[in-house]
This record gives sequence, structure tokens and C-alpha cells, in this order.
Amino acid sequence: MKVSLVVNGSPREVDLPPLSRLLDALRGPLGLTGTKEGCAEGECGACTVLLDGDPVNACLVAIGQCEGRRVTTVEGLACAGHLSPLQRCFVEEGGAQCGICTPGMLLSAEALLARSPDPSELEVREALAGNLCRCTGYQRIVESVRAAAALRRGGGGAAP
Amino acid sequence: MSLADLRLFEMRHVAGLGPLCEIMAERAALGAPVTLLAGGTDWVVEQELRPPLEVAAGGPAAPPLVVDVSRLSDLRGISLSGDTLRVGAATTYLEMLRSDAIAARAPLLARMSRDVGAVQIQARGTLGGNLATASPAADGVAALAAYDATVVVQSVRGERRIPMSALQTGYKRTSRAPDEVIVAVEIALPAPGSPWYWRKIGARRAQAISKVALAGVAEVRSGRAARLGLGMASVAPTTALLPSVRALCVSRPLAELTGAEVDAAVAQDISPIDDVRSTRGYREHCARGVVRELLRQLGAQV
Repeated sequence: MKVSLVVNGSPREVDLPPLSRLLDALRGPLGLTGTKEGCAEGECGACTVLLDGDPVNACLVAIGQCEGRRVTTVEGLACAGHLSPLQRCFVEEGGAQCGICTPGMLLSAEALLARSPDPSELEVREALAGNLCRCTGYQRIVESVRAAAALRRGGGGAAP
Repeated sequence: MSLADLRLFEMRHVAGLGPLCEIMAERAALGAPVTLLAGGTDWVVEQELRPPLEVAAGGPAAPPLVVDVSRLSDLRGISLSGDTLRVGAATTYLEMLRSDAIAARAPLLARMSRDVGAVQIQARGTLGGNLATASPAADGVAALAAYDATVVVQSVRGERRIPMSALQTGYKRTSRAPDEVIVAVEIALPAPGSPWYWRKIGARRAQAISKVALAGVAEVRSGRAARLGLGMASVAPTTALLPSVRALCVSRPLAELTGAEVDAAVAQDISPIDDVRSTRGYREHCARGVVRELLRQLGAQV
């Protein structure tokens, strides 16, 4: 099945069996390996991408359901070679640890900040509840997101 | 694991409910029902966990036909008409969380939606999927049971309206016929500001399937429950509607109820088991606790 979708702002087309997972389309023909495969059953959030702006587990979305939809992956966060405020803060605040959960964490956080520019710690934790960190280092991740929120509010970098 | 089998499946898209019902009727007549795919939060995981498709002599067995209903407009949307709320079967939990009509008139649905998985699941999972899958642990089904919702199904034979009390017929089984599509749920809303209750007990707040969950909707007048709807998850092969508890609590002024008789009614209405998530004993303990907590919020001294 040929599916046309918009990935990180660019129109793309893939030709895959319709029940192939969005995750496989991204990591395979689309060449975007920043999206990680963790549990492959919608539990860990490592494969989180944005589908029309909302976080989803790419392991549970069939590519045949993606015609005309907008997908954002971690590769879509940086802009013209510059890290997004969230990415910068993950680097500076120690939010990126072993790194496996980081792309998914970034996208869940991106969706949160797009709707809620000044989230409380509880809101951040709730927004990241579907993303498991195997290093169990959540505190720094939460701090990174809140730092990025402040940076964005201060105009310290345009949203991607 | 049979993830590779997913590549064998055929997927169709349909323009509306009419053509969908025709496909359902054709396939049901062949004894090969259609899989309606919305969020895939149950079905895709099930495909992954089940054994590979059997290869019959002469080639692989025909994989099921999947029809994508995730964006079928006939199955979507939230509308309020007088005191009736209608929620399309393909409406996601995230859409319910963001709905002003639901926040104002059916806050239990919004609160329950927050406890379904985490946001990634809320963005994909649907009420219709929850109803069709019919897990006794389903949060959405417990909430709809508390509202005594009506499930609207459609087939080429016409529309049928199923009360929640007649929907589930056994563990993950429903009275929906193989040619019927779940279109929407309708809720006769309680008066604005009426009390409601939601409590989900699980291993953690997000991504947990409940050990026990209780949804409740009530209208209280002069110390009596004029309306009491209950739905309890994970304590029986089907979502428990707690008929004995309901009957007891509307029979007398709430202040006259005793804890012992409430506990006895709960015991009559549930049949929990030991499983990977919890034990029968803990579930019985929790079930009594949440029913009593709900009743205390309505003014009972139990």
C-alpha cells in the first residue's frame, strides 16, 4: 500500500504492507533511526513520535492508518543544525543518560510544552508517564523539561 | 511472536458507515468476520503475542480483513443534545479529555480517560475499542456502566441499542453480532453537578491495568440515592455492575446503611480471581473499600 505522509515537515511516500508498523516505516524506508524500538507493545514509550501533534507509540500505529498525517520524530526537533531548547536542556541538565529513552522523552515533552508553556512538576511527570527510563533517572529528565520550558518562555530558541 | 504476520493482513478504508456495514455483512456471511481497527492498543499487541498464523496445506491461511475505522467520521465526535451525551465509538480518550462538553457534563469520563495508559495510549485508544474488546479490566467500560450508557450498533439489518447490562456476555465476549459495528455510546446525563466517583487501584498510576477500579454516578435527593450507577473493573469475568449494591443503596436513606450489609452486597456481586496483577483476597478487600468510600461521599456512614 502506498502511503503519503508528512514527516518532519517534508512530504514522503512509503510503499509497505498496510499493517506494517509506523515504527518500521520510520526506521526502514524513511531512514529515521532516531526513533527507538523498546518493548514493541506500547508500554515503554521509546518509540514515541508525534502524530498530528499528539504523542503515540509508533509500534502500535499501522502505516496504513497514516495517509495524509503529520509525523514528527526526534530528527525533526533540531532546526538548521541547532538543537531545540528541549534538546539543549537535556544535554545541559543531564536529562540524556544512556540515551535509549531520550528520543521518546523529547517528543512527549515537546507535545507537553506546545500545549502548556509553564508546566508544573506534576504535569511534566504525567506527560512523561508513558516513557520509561531504564536508568531510572527521572529527576534530571523532569528538570530538563522545566528548564526548557523556561528557556522557551524567555525566547531562548524558537520552537521547531 | 508473529509480528511478521501483520504484513500479510489486508487493510481497507471505507467512505462511511453504509459501505462498512455491507463489508461486515458479506464477511459475516462467509464466517470470516472483519477486524475493525481504531487505536490498535489492544489488537496490535495481541497479534504480536499470539502464535504465528497456521499454514494450511496449499499455502498460508487467509489473514483476517482489517478495516481502518480510526478516522471514520460516522464513528467520531462528541455531541450534547439536551441531557443526552453521544460519544462516537472511534473517539479517543485524549479527545474526551479535551472536550468541554465532557468536562462540564460527564466529568467521570474525563477523569477515567486520564488513567487509561499514558498519553500515548490515550491518543489512540477509543471507547468503541474498549467496548468491543470487552476486557473486564477496561476502564472505559466501567465508566460507561456507571452511566448506564446505551451502546448503539449498526448493521445492514438496522440500528440496535444495547444497554450496558446486556452488552458483555462472558469473558471478552459481547452480544454484538459479527456483522454489527459499534457506532456510538449515548448517556442520559445526571443533573449538572451530580456526584461521581472514580478510583483505579493498580501497580502504578500510568500504564497500569487495574487490580480493581470503581466508577460511580449518583443523584442524591433528601438523603436518598435517586440514581446510582456503578461499574467495577477486574473483579469478575465481565465488568461488574454491582446490582445488589445498587438495589441496597436506593432502598433506604443512605444514612441508614451499615458497613456490614454493604460489604455483604459487594460480596454477592463480585467473583474475583488470583492472577498476575493481584489476588482474590486483595481484590475483595479493595472492592469493599472503594464502595464504602463512594457511599461515604454520598453521605452514608459506612
